[in-house]
Amino acid sequence: MTDEEIRTEQEIIERAKKDPQAFGEIYERYFDRIFNFLYRQTDDEAVAGDLCSQTFVNALNHLNRYEFRGFPFSAWLYKIAGNEVNKFYRKNKGKKVFSIEEVKVRELMEQANDDWDEEMVNRVITYMNELPTEMVQVLELRFFEDKDFKEIAFILDITESGAKMRTYRALDRLRQQFNLRVKYDG
Amino acid sequence: MGRHEIRMRRQRTPARGSERYRNYNAVLKQHEQDMRLKKILRVFTYFLLIALITILLVIVMRWEKRQQAKPKTTSSLSSKVESFYRK
Repeated sequence: MTDEEIRTEQEIIERAKKDPQAFGEIYERYFDRIFNFLYRQTDDEAVAGDLCSQTFVNALNHLNRYEFRGFPFSAWLYKIAGNEVNKFYRKNKGKKVFSIEEVKVRELMEQANDDWDEEMVNRVITYMNELPTEMVQVLELRFFEDKDFKEIAFILDITESGAKMRTYRALDRLRQQFNLRVKYDG
Repeated sequence: MGRHEIRMRRQRTPARGSERYRNYNAVLKQHEQDMRLKKILRVFTYFLLIALITILLVIVMRWEKRQQAKPKTTSSLSSKVESFYRK
């Protein structure tokens, strides 16, 4: 996102603080991204739809508290969406699901190893199932949402070095076990 | 096993698409409802606070009144005692 785009976005948000109708522009801009993020973490369209609506309602309800901290507004939305997902799993006491796109996994495997096959994909998935959930969260934001470490740290409420450390540890084991060339910084 | 489950899905986007869940009017309506509830809650809290302060004020005023009345009774009592001994 360019500085100009961020500035325009801030203007919309300032307008939306006085007139909630103006927030519609932000809603249209980020709806798909937030919906897909939620769908990836629930694997249920209806639940993702409900959580997505709740995310935007919460954002609108607390818009006056929003302060620009150098991130695009979407980072704040991702943070609210992440909290909604956590609330959902706490309430339902279910196992957290990460529903990842096969196409994206193949893309990442192609970048990481020339000799990848289906068996290797399955082994990587098994390995990811055994990783701590916090690590998978960071990997998801880094490689499926293309977020930088600063933004990941803000979304997950951790330090930037913490986000880097989690990614580094997860990728280091991937490199060692599967001979993958996954770049630490993407 | 971790505390999560990783699933692979073939389609990039949800099968029925996200469009059926896109409804800004519903979000706006929910927001207005939440704001109304917040306002009612705020008014109720203020009312409760004012009621509490009023009750406290009444208690303090009554206590003060009783305190003011007390020395009188003690003085009258002491004068009664004095007059008794004088007799």
